[in-house]
Formats: sequence, structure tokens, C-alpha cells
Amino acid sequence: MTVDTPVRSQQRSRVETAGAWTGLLRVPGIRTWGPFAVVVAIWALIAELELFPSAFFVGPGTVFETTVRLIERGILPSYIGDSLLRLAVGAGFGVVIGVALGFLIGLNKYARKFSWPMLLFFQAIGDIAWLPILIIWFGFSLTSVTLVIVYTVTFPLIISIVAGIDSIPQNLMRAAASLGAKRWRGIVEVVVPAALPGISSGIRTGLGYGWRALIAAEIIIGTSGVGFMMFEARRQGDVSHVFIGMVVLGALWYATDALILAPFEKETVERWGMVEGIGR
Amino acid sequence: MSLLSVENLNQVYTDAYTHEEMTAVGNVSFDIPEGQFISLIGPSGCGKTTVLNIVAGFIRASGGSVMLAGKPISGPGPDRGVVFQDFALFPWKSVEANIAFGLKMRGVDKAERKRRAREVIELVGLSGFEAKYPHELSGGMRQRVGVARVLATEPTMMLMDEPFASIDAQTRRVLQQEVLRIWEQERPTVLFVTHDVDEAIFMSDRVIVLSSRPSAVQADIEIPIPRPRTWSDVYADPAFVRIRRELMAMLGVDDDEKGS
Ligand SMILES: Nc1ncnc2c1ncn2[C@@H]1O[C@H](COP(=O)(O)OP(=O)(O)OP(=O)(O)O)[C@@H](O)[C@H]1O
Ligand SMILES: [Mg+2]
Repeated sequence: MTVDTPVRSQQRSRVETAGAWTGLLRVPGIRTWGPFAVVVAIWALIAELELFPSAFFVGPGTVFETTVRLIERGILPSYIGDSLLRLAVGAGFGVVIGVALGFLIGLNKYARKFSWPMLLFFQAIGDIAWLPILIIWFGFSLTSVTLVIVYTVTFPLIISIVAGIDSIPQNLMRAAASLGAKRWRGIVEVVVPAALPGISSGIRTGLGYGWRALIAAEIIIGTSGVGFMMFEARRQGDVSHVFIGMVVLGALWYATDALILAPFEKETVERWGMVEGIGR
Repeated sequence: MSLLSVENLNQVYTDAYTHEEMTAVGNVSFDIPEGQFISLIGPSGCGKTTVLNIVAGFIRASGGSVMLAGKPISGPGPDRGVVFQDFALFPWKSVEANIAFGLKMRGVDKAERKRRAREVIELVGLSGFEAKYPHELSGGMRQRVGVARVLATEPTMMLMDEPFASIDAQTRRVLQQEVLRIWEQERPTVLFVTHDVDEAIFMSDRVIVLSSRPSAVQADIEIPIPRPRTWSDVYADPAFVRIRRELMAMLGVDDDEKGS
């Protein structure tokens, strides 16, 4: 009997058409750090040329020295720790609530009819637009910060889970039903995995928004944290702290992606061919 | 005694925007005796898919009755396995898990599922690909999985809606013979929808021709070609040539042009 040949993996064919330049980018170290090296070099050059007074613009060298000092004094680690903890607590609640509501609204037509207009309404009230009222209710407290993050994480997650459920091919549901899957089995076996691309992109967007909301909240409410550090530094006219804050934000997000989001996607939706490699 | 009996089937669709009503299936009646392989052909848009979807229980008919073994159909179920044109495999399940899905839903234990899945995988010629995911397979192999997934549960009926339409011509010929070979072993009752007159004759015991919308059964033709069949035998069979000409004329297609 003839057996047709399996489709070659996309990775392979992509590699074959790659030129020398992109070949260089495939070396792991260069691929990850190469682009950053370019940016840092330009940054250093601008600082070196003293185009701006040093009270406005500091070079990577200064930032590095200050960073080392802040780490030695324990300030930076403790601020980062505070920010991450707030994000983790807020995002944790946000993801749980978002996933639960996302599936409820995605699967139940009454829940959807009831909540969809409200969802659009509340989504339009930007995260930090809630801060004034939250501060009135809960004061300059961790509760206010957490609530803002929960709020920002939840909405994009709900919306992309609902979109994910809506875009499940009809025939997949029909196939499951005709193979004997009853409602709950069908949800567990088909809807949940089929909605995974939606869930993972929702978590990505939600966390990204949550992270930004956290910094905003810390700037306004803060007593500690990366956002607080940056704003304090501005008040004291210390540009290098502001720069450190910005670098830290980028680095932490990069780490979140590289350590948590990307490996998860690689093992699931990418492995199953449901989405192309995200940003790779 | 007939296994499936479709009587005065009627299907009216209402356009979601204009609210216009459109009768897709006018009045369709036919019977399928147990173990028969039946093809449904007809001009595009005449309601072949609609009839199959009603038999599958995916949509509820506007009128008429569909009885399977004397009982009215009230929704999809594992007694009617469906093979889809777009395969509809579960991307997150391996070949083996896709094929074992129906057994899992039925509560068959793991070891037995594996045994049965392996058996069917062997039957459809996919040995060695058990652990692959659907996106790693060619179209022809995916549809082998689609067929195997249905065979694994040993349904009373198999429903196929243009299962080979998106597969290249050569692989299609191979798969048609394969499916016939398997069918001759297991003898499920089959309702097979196709555009392809040659395919309909080659595969079937009977070909039912639907007229254009609102459709009714225009002709019901026995195919007296002996089994087992292979393409080279069938092409040379005078009955094939005769029936083909007849069907082509009925569908208003000039010879040597496939119904589209
Ligand atoms: N869900 C639906 N809502 C409205 N109209 C529909 C729907 N499904 C099918 N139709 C219409 O009903 C008619 C029959 O459709 P159907 O898909 O059953 O035809 P078909 O014979 O399978 O066609 P083809 O050979 O092109 O696959 C078509 O005119 C189609 O536009
Ligand atoms: Mg059709």
C-alpha cells in the first residue's frame, strides 16, 4: 500500500531559504542579544557625543554603575520583588476570573447576551481611569493596586477566550458530537484545547496590560516598586534611576515571555500546528 | 429491511439578513438497506450536504422524517460516523488519540482503546504515524485518519461528504480503492456525497441523483459492476461507460467534463 509522505516541517523549509545574514541570527547568543547590542551601542554613542546634558540623558555605563550600586544596597531587588509580587497576585486573580468568565460567556448564550454590552462598556474605562475612585474607596493601598491589575488582566482575557471559542471550526464540534461526546465531555476534550490559542494570546495581552497598569498604579499610589522608583527619581532629578526603571521593565517582560509564555505556547498550540511560531 | 429511511424530506433555510425563505431540499425520499453503499450526486447547491447533515443529526429538518433502524434521528450520535471534507481532526491529539476518541467517549478502557486504534491504523495503512499530529500529515493521510476515526467505533452507518474533494487526483484514486477494500471487509452502510460521477459509480451499489433546487430524487440507479472493484477493471466495464453517460446527461454535463 502506498503511504503518502508527511509534510516537511515548516522550520526546515524556512532554514533552507535563509541567507547568510539571517543565518547569523540563528546562533542562539547572537539572536537573543545581537539586536540589544546594537541598541546599547547607539545609546552609548549618543551619550558619548553629549548631545544632551547629563541631567537629561545618561549612558549605559552610568546606568550600569548605578544599577550595581542599587543592587548592592538591596533597593532594586526589593523594589522589583514588590512589583512582581503585586503583578503575580493581581494577574493570578485576573487569570482565574478571566478564564472562568471567558468560558461562561463564550459557552452560555444567556450569559453572553447579558454581559457582552457591559463588557464593552467597562473595557472602555481604561485601567488607570479607575484609580481615582479606587483610591477614594481603598486608599493608597495594595488593594487598590491589585484591583487595577485584576481589572486590566481580566477584560482582554475574557474577550480573547470568547473570540477563541467562537472561532472553533463548526466541524470540529460536529465531529466530537458524532463520535459520542456529550456536552461536558465536548467542552473538556474539544472546546478547551481548541480555545487555547485564544487563551494564550489573551494571557499575553492581559499580562502586558497588567504590567503597564502596575507601573502606572505605583507611580500614583506607590510606596515602593519599580514605578515608584522611577517617579521618585524624577522628583529628585536623578535620570539614571529613570533609565534603570525603563530597562528593568523591558528586561522583566522579556524574561516573562522567554521563561513562561513562550515555552507554554511551544509545547501546546505551536506543537499542534494551531498557530505559527509567535515572534520567532 | 432498510436501515435508513428518508421520507418527504424538506428543508427551508431562512436568510439571516434578508429573512427570505429558500427551499433547499424540496421533497426527497429514499431508503438504504443495511450494508449498502449509496452515493448522492446532484448539481451544486441542490442540498446534498443538507441531506447528509440532517441524517447526521447536525441540523433539524423543516419537514419529513428520517428514521434509522426504525427510530427517528434526534441529534448526532456514534451510530453514524461522519467523515468530513475538511477532515475535522483534533489538532491537539495525535493520530492514535484522534482515532481512539470515539472509544474514549464510549468509556472503553485505555488498553483496549490502544489495541483497537492500532488495529484500525494498520487497516488504513498509517502504521508508524501513530504519534504524529494531524498538521504533520499530508492531506491524503489526514483523510485516512478521518476514515479510521470513524471505523474505530464501528458505526451502523458511515456518512461521508465529499471526503476526497480536497485531495489530489492520484491520491484520491488510491484512497477510493482503499476505502472500498475496507468497506468490503467491514460492510458498514454508507451514505456518500460526491460531485464526481466516476467516483459515485466506482464506489456505490446505488447512485441517487438529486435534481436542482428545490431538490427531489431525479433518478435512483443500481450499479451492477461486480466487486471487488479496481479502477482499471471498472473503466473497462461497459456498464460503467453506459451509466456514466446516463448520469452525465442527467446532470447536464457534456462528456469528459466532471460535474462541478
Ligand atoms: N446554513 C444555511 N443557511 C442558509 N442557506 C443554506 C445553509 N446551508 C446551505 N444553504 C443553502 O442551501 C442550498 C443547499 O446547500 P448544500 O450545501 O446542501 O448544497 P450541496 O448540494 O451540498 O452543494 P455543493 O455540491 O456545492 O456542496 C444552497 O443553496 C445553500 O446556499
Ligand atoms: Mg456540499
